[in-house]
Amino acid sequence: MRWFLRRCLFYLFAIWVAATLVFLLPRLMPGDPVGGVLQHLSPAQIQANPGIVQTYQALLGGGKGTIWQDYLKYIHRISHFDFGVSTSNYPAPVSDVIGRTLPYSIILVGISFFLAFVVGTTIGMIAAWRRGKSVDTFVVPALMSLGAFPSFFIALLAVYFLGLKLQWFPIQHAYDNGLTPGFSWAFISSATRHAELPALVILAAFTGGWVLNMRTVMINTIGEDYVQVGFAKGLKDRRVMTSYAGRNAILPPLNGFAAQFATAVGGVVVIEFVFSYPGAGLTLQQAVLGNDYPLSQALLLVLALCVIGANFLMDILNLILDPRVRTS
Amino acid sequence: MRRKLHIPKWVGLLLGNPKSRVGLGILLFILLMTAFGPFFAAKDPNAFSLLDARQSPSFHHLFGTTDQGSDVFSQVVVGARESLLLGFAAATLATAVATVLGVLAAYSGGIVDDAINSIINIFLVLPPIPLLVVVSGFLKSRGTWTMVVALGLVLWAFEARILRSQALSLRNRDFVNAAKAAGESTRRVIFGELMPNMISRIAAAWVLIFYIALLTDAGLEFLGLGSLQKPSWGVTLYWAQTNSAVLQGEWWSFVFPGAALALTVIGLVLLLAGIDEVSNPRLRAEKTRHSFLSRMRFALLGGRVAPHVEAS
Repeated sequence: MRWFLRRCLFYLFAIWVAATLVFLLPRLMPGDPVGGVLQHLSPAQIQANPGIVQTYQALLGGGKGTIWQDYLKYIHRISHFDFGVSTSNYPAPVSDVIGRTLPYSIILVGISFFLAFVVGTTIGMIAAWRRGKSVDTFVVPALMSLGAFPSFFIALLAVYFLGLKLQWFPIQHAYDNGLTPGFSWAFISSATRHAELPALVILAAFTGGWVLNMRTVMINTIGEDYVQVGFAKGLKDRRVMTSYAGRNAILPPLNGFAAQFATAVGGVVVIEFVFSYPGAGLTLQQAVLGNDYPLSQALLLVLALCVIGANFLMDILNLILDPRVRTS
Repeated sequence: MRRKLHIPKWVGLLLGNPKSRVGLGILLFILLMTAFGPFFAAKDPNAFSLLDARQSPSFHHLFGTTDQGSDVFSQVVVGARESLLLGFAAATLATAVATVLGVLAAYSGGIVDDAINSIINIFLVLPPIPLLVVVSGFLKSRGTWTMVVALGLVLWAFEARILRSQALSLRNRDFVNAAKAAGESTRRVIFGELMPNMISRIAAAWVLIFYIALLTDAGLEFLGLGSLQKPSWGVTLYWAQTNSAVLQGEWWSFVFPGAALALTVIGLVLLLAGIDEVSNPRLRAEKTRHSFLSRMRFALLGGRVAPHVEAS
């Protein structure tokens, strides 16, 4: 339990650091970000949103208050998730833009990343169990080299060959034109079709890591006594592999799952850009290119929170699955 | 008597290992291309002429031309310089930061270690690419050296973690204690005893960060957020994407710069595998792949492994 409390404290600390970093970044950089943002709004638009200048000043600096007053204001605003108006999506508030785009990324990344984990650890398990056999000699190196490739290069190749030449998949956007997002069959099936190729690219880019990870740990568990016990009991080969060796070998990769999330989130920004997929990553890129600082600040904070949240969930899962963590 | 040309021992060791031999071969090829390619290209990589736009590879334009009619071959060989320089410099900076903080934390212990360790852990949960995307958004001029500093200060954490645990395991060895007992100054213990024993780890760290910095920088440029003034692989890919070259079937405008990047990355990964095998003779016999695999895992998983794996 002490371990869990320490983790919780660490995550709270990490959230505070992330929020403070987001506060300090525009203040450490040269230039006048508030002026840059306000350039994108007409005087009438600024008048229509009373208090907008103060909100931007709390976020980006350049106001009359001291940095401590700014900081208190900033903490107060972000705790209500008030990042002001997004200039590139005027008149939508930043929180609405994030609410609209983040679900696409969470569903796409959540599902494909989980699939990469399941497929990768399964292949890694089999490769370690039958070392030097076909899976180990052909599938493992192939997935490893794919994993070393730049993910956006895989994405570009996939768009060109699988999308454009073979026309197996739609290659742009998240759903067909003319559909409105909602819980209709037409929308969900279209959105699924459009998510297939990006998901496949994420699978290609990230499965190799899990294969390596699982294979290494599995090789170490194969020598353990309890695996021999499984054989001695006369259990089938497959049952010993999954329930005895695999059951124990899965813990370290599971531990790494959340940590790799930080890398995956970065890869997703680039992959969404290739597919013009309207998730949080593409929105972040366009916000930064369009000098929409409030939106880019908020997205960075939200993405960091996602990574921290994923780490926290994995710690809880670890606590449930591994009794050694509970007692230590 | 003529003296034999003196070749450092580690060069021979690296060339004796098949993985690093192939890796070094690939990197040598890339370096030669970077050094001498521009003489063959001999054209301004950004020169454009709409008459020559969108040509597929031919004798005249080996790698074809872009939407604006620039020669892709020139962009790839001239852009190599910028891409490699950025990766090289960022890797050097990040390795320096990682080494100083990792060794300092391990050697000092106590509150210094706790503080540095929490900084490392926090950097590991901050997503690096979104962080760099936002930072480069705030930077008004994204020159080469600004990007080097930004990349170096974001990408050091996972290697600092590895180097810290290496230094921790060396700290209580007999030869370090002997040096302390002999009254050596802290500086001499660190630079004379600890560091020489970590050289191969630091070299491996440098190669790994080089690989990650190269990919991260190309990714940023691909998003339109690097230093876009000079041609580089990422910039060429950015224009290919922005001008929808892919959707129009102009495969040459992204396949060649992408392949150059992928080839360099594969060369670095092979070199890394070789350094690991050479520097740890115990691993060479049968557990050869273990250290390489665990290092790759550090790279791929952002540096987090289960405690019992870390201890081994």
